[in-house]
Amino acid sequence: MCSPEEAALLRLEEVFSATLARTNSLVLQPLLTAAEPSDPQGRECLRLLQQLHWSSQQLWEVTEESLHSLQERLCHPDSVRLESLLLLRGADRVLQVYMEYIESYTSCMVVQAFQKAAKRRSGYWRVQRKVLRQLLWGMSSEGSVGTALVEVLCQPLTYHVQQYVFLLLSLSDTIGEHHPTRELVVHTTTLFGDLQSFMRQALDQAVATQALWHTLSSRPRDVLCIPARRLLQDSQDVPVTVTPLRAERVLLFDDALVLLQGHNVHTFDLKLVWVDPRQDGCTFHLLTPEEEFSFCSKDPQGKVVWQRKVTEAVCQVLRGKKDFPVLGAGLEPSETPTCRCAAYTFRAEGRLCQATYEGQWCRGRPHGKGALKWPDGRNHVGNFCQGLEHGFGIRLVPRASEDKFDCYKCHWWEGSMSGYGICENGTDEVYKGYFQAGLRHGFGVLESTPQAPQPCKYTGHWERGQRSGYGIEEDSDRGERYIGMWQADQRHGPGVMVTQAGVCYQGTFQADKMVGPGILLSEDDSLYEGTFTRDLTLVGKGKVTFPIGFTLEGSFGSGAGGGLHTQGVLDTAALPPDPSSTRKRQLGLGVFPVESRWQGIYGPFWAFVHAGCPGELQEALLGFHVQSSRALRKSQEYLCCERTHPEDSACRMEDILEELLQHREREALQQCLRKALSNPLHPLGKLLRTLMLTFQATYAGVGANKHLQGLAQEEVKQHARELWAAYRGLLRVALQRKGQAPEEDEDAETRDLQVHGLVLPLMLPSFYSELFTLYLLLHEREDGLYSQGIAHLSLFPDTKLLEFLDVQKHLWPLKDLKLTTNQRCSLVRDNCFLSATECLQRIITTVDPREKLEVLERTYGEIEATVSRVLGQEHKLPMDDLLPLLIYVVSRARIQHLGAEIHLIRDLMDPIHTGGLYDFLLTALESCYEHIQKEDMRLHRLPSRWNSRAPW
Amino acid sequence: MMAIRELKVCLLGDTGVGKSSIVCRFVQDHFDHNISPTIGASFMTKTVACGNELHKFLIWDTAGQERFHSLAPMYYRGSAAAVIVYDITKQDSFYTLKKWVKELKEHGPENIVMAIAGNKCDLSDIREVPLKDAKEYAESIGAIVVETSAKNAINIEELFQGISRQIPPLDPHENGNNGGIKVLNSSMPGTRPCC
Repeated sequence: MCSPEEAALLRLEEVFSATLARTNSLVLQPLLTAAEPSDPQGRECLRLLQQLHWSSQQLWEVTEESLHSLQERLCHPDSVRLESLLLLRGADRVLQVYMEYIESYTSCMVVQAFQKAAKRRSGYWRVQRKVLRQLLWGMSSEGSVGTALVEVLCQPLTYHVQQYVFLLLSLSDTIGEHHPTRELVVHTTTLFGDLQSFMRQALDQAVATQALWHTLSSRPRDVLCIPARRLLQDSQDVPVTVTPLRAERVLLFDDALVLLQGHNVHTFDLKLVWVDPRQDGCTFHLLTPEEEFSFCSKDPQGKVVWQRKVTEAVCQVLRGKKDFPVLGAGLEPSETPTCRCAAYTFRAEGRLCQATYEGQWCRGRPHGKGALKWPDGRNHVGNFCQGLEHGFGIRLVPRASEDKFDCYKCHWWEGSMSGYGICENGTDEVYKGYFQAGLRHGFGVLESTPQAPQPCKYTGHWERGQRSGYGIEEDSDRGERYIGMWQADQRHGPGVMVTQAGVCYQGTFQADKMVGPGILLSEDDSLYEGTFTRDLTLVGKGKVTFPIGFTLEGSFGSGAGGGLHTQGVLDTAALPPDPSSTRKRQLGLGVFPVESRWQGIYGPFWAFVHAGCPGELQEALLGFHVQSSRALRKSQEYLCCERTHPEDSACRMEDILEELLQHREREALQQCLRKALSNPLHPLGKLLRTLMLTFQATYAGVGANKHLQGLAQEEVKQHARELWAAYRGLLRVALQRKGQAPEEDEDAETRDLQVHGLVLPLMLPSFYSELFTLYLLLHEREDGLYSQGIAHLSLFPDTKLLEFLDVQKHLWPLKDLKLTTNQRCSLVRDNCFLSATECLQRIITTVDPREKLEVLERTYGEIEATVSRVLGQEHKLPMDDLLPLLIYVVSRARIQHLGAEIHLIRDLMDPIHTGGLYDFLLTALESCYEHIQKEDMRLHRLPSRWNSRAPW
Repeated sequence: MMAIRELKVCLLGDTGVGKSSIVCRFVQDHFDHNISPTIGASFMTKTVACGNELHKFLIWDTAGQERFHSLAPMYYRGSAAAVIVYDITKQDSFYTLKKWVKELKEHGPENIVMAIAGNKCDLSDIREVPLKDAKEYAESIGAIVVETSAKNAINIEELFQGISRQIPPLDPHENGNNGGIKVLNSSMPGTRPCC
C-alpha cells in the first residue's frame, strides 16, 4: 500500500521537473545564447552561467529519476518497496546535486552574473518580463530584470526542498513506529533539513560577499574578488584590531584572511594560518609562515567570535570541502591542526626570499619532510625542523657557468651542514667527510673525479672549510705524496714527501714552502742533511752521506751552467754507515704523534658516544648509503633521498648495543667484534673502513716506501688500541641504557692483552697488504741475501746439509732416509725433519702475529719430536744442538721474505711476551735468518771447505 | 700477593761446558709451581723467592759453537743477568769466558749482572783453571763467581741466589700498579742490532 504522502511526493516531483524544464528554456538558455563577451569579466560570467546550466541539468535528471522511482512504486506498491525510492536510497546523491547547484548559483550571484548578462540583452529581457513573472510568486512589478532572474533560479528550489522535508516528515509519522524503513525516512528527513540550513547559509554568505564587493574600493576588489570566495567575518560587524600590522579592516574569507591597510591588501592563505591556543583576555594570536599577529577585540565575546570563526575556517579549508550543513559543523571547540602539508613562497627579505617551500609545516614553520626551491635554481629536499634544514637533506646549487651543479648530500643541523656528508662540486671533485656549521670540518677526503682536468686527492683533517691538521695529499701529476701538517689550506709544519722516483724527504713547511734544514733520502740510499728546496735543489749548508760511507760537508748551490755547485770537505775515511741510519731510516717518527694523528676520525665517534648514541645522529656519524647521484642531477625537479634509511636496515643503534651486551665472553665477543668490524653500517665497522681508507691513502702506491714503515706500524697498533677503546665506549653506553653499572676501568696490562689478543688479529687483515709491503721493502736487501743462502743450501742433499750445519750425527733422522748401507752421501732431499719444515711453512698462511708464533712453537715441537724418535727416548735439546737443526729446517722451509715476516711479528707482538717463550722462539728464528745470510752459507761449495775459524 | 719480577737471564759459554746441564739441574731439582712452557733445554723458566719479591727467571740458552758467536747479541739484549759458564778442566773455555765478558761490557745491556760459573768442579783432579784465577778475574770485573757441578748439584742454587741478590730492588714508586711487575727491557726498545 502506498501512503498519500508518496502520491504527494510524486506530484511534487512532476511539478518541479516541469519548472526546471521551463526555467531552462525560458531563462538559462537565453542567458547563455548572448554573444561571446569580449572582456574577461564577461567571459568569467559566461563560464559561471554555463556551470549553472550544467548543474541545472543534473538537477533535472535527478528529479526525473526520483519521479520515475515514485511512479514505479505507485504502480506496483507490492513489489516495489518503499526504500527503493531514490529520495531514500540515494539521498546523498540527491543532496550532492542540490549542493552543487547552490554552489554554482551563489557564485553567479556573488559576481552579479545575472544582472550583467541581463544588461547585455536588456531588450530581450524587457520583452520576457511577463514570462518571468509567471515563473515567480509574489514578485513586484518594480523589480529589475536582474533581481527577477536571481529569484527565478532559486525560489523553486528552496520551495521544493521545503516541501520535501514537510512530506517526508508526514511520511515518517504515517508509516508507524516499527516499519523497517522508518529509520531511513527519518534520516533522510534530517538530511534534507540540513540541506535547508546549508542553502540558507550559502545564500546568506553569498549575499554578504556580494554586498562586500560593492563597498570595497576598486583596487582591493580587483585583487580579492573571486567567484568562489565567500565572506565569513568582517571587522566592520565585530570590530577587531590587529597588531603589529595596524589594519583598518579585517576580512575573513573561506580561503584566506585579508588585512586591509590603506591601499595595501595583505592576504594570508588559511592553509598556513595557525590559531595559537594560548588564551589571553580579549586577544588571540595567529601564526603564519612569516608573520605573527595579535587580534584584539573590545570585549571577550568579540574575541570568541573571531577566534571561533578563524579556527572553523582554517579547519574547513584543511578538510578541502565545505562543512555540512553549516560552517564548523562536527568541529569540536578545538584548535587548528599543528601539522600540515602546504606550499608557500616566502616574501620577506632574507635567506628564504622568493623561495618556495612545499612540504610539511608545524605552527608556521617548515617542519618535517619538504622541498625548498629558490628562484636562482638552488634546491633543497630533506628534513626540516622549526623552519631550518635539520636531518638528512640534499641540496643542489647551480654553478654560475655551464649546466653543472654542486650537490650536497649531507646531514644538517639547524640550517647548516653538520656531520657526515658527500659534496660533489660540479663534475670535478667530490668531498666525502664531516661538516660543521656548513663547512668542511674534521676528517674528510677531497678527491677529483676521473674526468677532472687536474687530478688530486686530499685525505685528512679540515678546519672551517680549509685543510688544517694532519693530512695526506696526492699529486699524481708530479708523482708526489705529501704526508704532514696543514694550516689554512697550505702545507705548514712538519711534513714528509715521497715521490714516484723513490726520493723522499722530511722537512718543515711554511705557507707551502720548505723552510730550514731537512733530510733528503735518495733511492740509492744516499742521505742529505741540510737545506734544499721543494724541487730538490740543494741550497746552503748541508752534509751528504754516501752509501759507501763517504761524507761531503759544506755549502751547496746551483752551478752556473746547471748542475750542482759545492764547496766543502769530502771525508773518505769514515766507516760505512750503520745500515739502520740511512737505508732503514724512518721518516716522520715522533713528528706526527700517533695518538693524535687521526683524531678527526675518532672525534665524531666519541661525540656520538658521549651523547649516548642517539639514533637520530647515527646517520650523521656513519654516513649514508646513496645510490648513484647521476639520476639526482638529471632531475633536480624532484629530488628523492633514495638512501637506505638506518631504521630500515638491520643496524638500529639499540640492536647494536644490545648485541654488545649479549656477547661479552671472550669467544662470543670475538665473534661479535668480527661481525661488527666487517659491517660498514656498524660504528666500529665504519671506523675501521675509514682507517683503511687513510692507511691506503698514506702507504699504498707512492707511499709504499720503506722509510715510512715506522709510521705505518705504529699507526696500526694505535688503531687497534683505539678500536678497543671505541668498543669499550659503546659498551659503556649500552650498560648505561640498561641502567647497569659501567665496567671498571681496566688496567694497562689487561687492555694490552685485549688489544693484541682480540682486536689486532681482527683488524690486521684490513691493513696487512700495505703494511707487509713496507716490511718487504725495508728488509729487501737482507731478504735478498737470505734468498741466496736458501738457494745455495737447497742444492745440498739432506745428509750433506746436516753435516754442513754441524748437526751432531746421532741426531740425524736417518730412519727418514732410504739409504743403502754404503750410501752415506745420498741424493735424497727434503726428507729429514719434513714435519717441522711443513709446519714452519704455515707461518705465511696467517696474518695474526700470535698465530704465527704458535706455528713457530709447533715447529720446535716437531723438531724435538723427531729427535726424540731418532734417539728412542725423550730428549731435551740444548741450544748447541737446537740451533743447527733449526737452521736446517728454516733453510728447507724456503719461506720468502722471512725477514719481513720476523720483523712484522716482532713489532706487532704483544709486549707482554718480551723476554718470554715467544720472544725466545722468534729470536732463535731471527738468528737462523741472520746466519743464512752469512757469506759462507751463501757461497761455499763444499762442507769440507768449512772454515771453523769464523771471524767474530 | 708478592710481586713477580720477570728476569731474563742468558747463558753463555763454550759448547760442552754444561750450560744447559746447570739450568736443567736448577729447574728440575725443585718443584716449580708455575707450569712453564719450555723449549727443550733451550728456554726454561723458574720462579724463586727473594726477599719480598718473586723472581721469575726466563733462562735463554745460546749455542756455544764459535760460528754462532755473532748471533749472541740477539739473545743477550734485554737480559738482566748473564751466566757465563766455563769448564774448570778446560783452560780454553776460560779464555772464551773472558771474551764474552769483554763483549758484554762493550755491547751488552747496561747494569747487566754477570755470574761466572766454573762447572764440573766434581772433576777437580783434572782441573786446568785454578779457583784463585777465576776469583781474581771475577773481582776485577765485579762479577759473581762460583764453582758448580751440575752433575752433583753443587752450588747451582747458590749461583742463582747470588744473581737474585745482585738484582737491584724495584723503585718503590715504579710499582704503583697491581700484580705482576715487569722489569725487563730496560735497554730493549729500538736497539735491535742489524748485522
